[in-house]
Amino acid sequence: MKKQILIRFGLVFIGLALIGQLEAQSLSWTGYVRNYMGVLLQNENEYSIIQNTVNLNLELSKNKVAFKVNPYIYQYPGFQPETGLREAYLDIYLNSIDFRIGKQQIIWGKADGVFITDIISPKDLSEFLLRDFDEIRMGVTAVKADYYFGNNTFELVWIPQFAATKMPAENSIWSPKMDFPIQPVMDNSRRQVAATLQNSEIFAKLSGLTSALDFEIMAGYMWDDDPTLYTAKTLDPQSLQLNHLTITPEHKRLGLAGGSFSTTLKGFVVRGEGAFYTGKHFATNSTSLASVFMEKNYFHYLLGLDFTLWNIHMSSQFIQQMILDYETPIIANERENTLTFLATGDFLRETLHAELFAYIGLNNSDALIRPRIRYNLTDAFELLLGANIFLGDEGRFGQYDENDMVYTKIKYSF
Amino acid sequence: MAAQTELSGLQIIEKVYNRPEGDDMQGDLMMTLINSRGNQRIREIKQFIKNFGEMEKKIMFFISPADVRNTSFMNWSYDQAGKDDDQWIYLPALKKVKRISSDSRSDHFMGSDFTYDDLGDRHPSDDNHNLLREETINGEACYVVESIPKDDEYMYSRTITWTIKDKWIGLKKEFYDEDGELLKTLTVKKFSQIKGIWIIMMSEMHNVQKEHTTKMQLSNVILNSGIPANKFTERMMRRGLK
Repeated sequence: MKKQILIRFGLVFIGLALIGQLEAQSLSWTGYVRNYMGVLLQNENEYSIIQNTVNLNLELSKNKVAFKVNPYIYQYPGFQPETGLREAYLDIYLNSIDFRIGKQQIIWGKADGVFITDIISPKDLSEFLLRDFDEIRMGVTAVKADYYFGNNTFELVWIPQFAATKMPAENSIWSPKMDFPIQPVMDNSRRQVAATLQNSEIFAKLSGLTSALDFEIMAGYMWDDDPTLYTAKTLDPQSLQLNHLTITPEHKRLGLAGGSFSTTLKGFVVRGEGAFYTGKHFATNSTSLASVFMEKNYFHYLLGLDFTLWNIHMSSQFIQQMILDYETPIIANERENTLTFLATGDFLRETLHAELFAYIGLNNSDALIRPRIRYNLTDAFELLLGANIFLGDEGRFGQYDENDMVYTKIKYSF
Repeated sequence: MAAQTELSGLQIIEKVYNRPEGDDMQGDLMMTLINSRGNQRIREIKQFIKNFGEMEKKIMFFISPADVRNTSFMNWSYDQAGKDDDQWIYLPALKKVKRISSDSRSDHFMGSDFTYDDLGDRHPSDDNHNLLREETINGEACYVVESIPKDDEYMYSRTITWTIKDKWIGLKKEFYDEDGELLKTLTVKKFSQIKGIWIIMMSEMHNVQKEHTTKMQLSNVILNSGIPANKFTERMMRRGLK
């Protein structure tokens, strides 16, 4: 297996090197190698991660055609290396239309660190939200067409086969806590969405970039990244106690319409983003209902403000998810409110970068605080020291209260 | 010659501000950052500028160092007094074009000794100007003009500019900090006439307080080539130099 991976990687390299020989002037190689080590502050200081990474960006362009390949290797001591292509696509540039075909990351919206209209690329949440955002977003095989008129763009995205978000492994410290009375058995037989034309996803966006305002208006017909978890219970006939629980995840269709904007106001950048989702299945705690799920529409929006104070760049966002026509058996809150806060500063001629980012969950009084300092020993070589501190006992962030960690990243870019 | 000596400080600075720059320009910019120990760091940029009448659009593509490669920056500036620039940055890791505030004009550009304001065209009406004297440096007859900002909060308490009389190029400029102490000196090392337009090809900003220097060199300059208007769009920020 290991040999096959290395052979495949080698073939990609050799192929690209040969192309590079032919097209030496237009082939660009960039990338990085990185060591990432994290240690938990509790649990006898277990390592939360030891990871070595190689990431390459190989780009070739000639006239109206270009392509990019982004192979990566994650190596964990004692495990098989994890390899893949984050992106591998072909660009075709025409007068007013560009096409991008292949595996690609597609990012929409004006939000930072929050996914409202930015829902095209599936996410890699195997380490919760802690990875860098270019690593959280996975590539998805798509055909993307952009038509340009003036300062506006109309974009159409077709995803022939649904790719789901990657969740943490069941034994991972980042596996979300679920309250089941007994240990359930997972039945993944209905998890896959069949690869058919009817099951493809489609998205459209109209965007503009003007002096007064940047805007996006978008719509999508897609699959819900969060599968609906159907449960089957078996009771002991004598004690009537629950003795078997089967969970069957199944993805459901979602409709989406939304938009975003960004503008400047007396030195402030004001941002907003909102989306209306239809057909979401919310779990309930009712035993009397025919189905344990209720299909509801919901609204997810954000307002953000960016500003600079004493040469420190700051950004704050208020995010709300609101279930419409709410009914009490639904387990999720009718309104889920979150704040984010970001402060960044560059010192020593941009060789020292300090950053503090925080998610604050207002419903459960929980938070994730992420301070970090990055120092560039040279332009290519950087050292990063950071911490992830989880506060609270429950909620999206509080559930990881035992996972506070400090970490280092040593990175060489080329 | 006698008429020229009657110019006021404001008129001299206005002539520098209004010096013809062509309809459009493209070129390669290389910045060399040199610290007090003599260590050097290089930044390379490809830039395109086009005059649209009452507005000027500029787009910069960062080439090196490696970790900022494919980053691009776009600026739209306006002749209209009081109208702030519009600025966007494209970050390839985030794959997003972000609107940013042009309020941070005192920030240093890519860690250099130039602030964003030093690199832009400061409007003459932002300062009070006094003609101090005439002086010849490097064989060029210059007007020496002191400019004091009208805004007390501005990062410099005053600047002094040596302007070449017949070319309206600021050959040398001194920047004084809030305490009135000399902070930085800008020296133009080389200028050339291309298609009848004077272009500063090489300059050096020296921070005398921190003993840090930035050399800025422009090369492969092409003037009035008819850069298309769609070069200054989100499409090109994302596409880069491809």
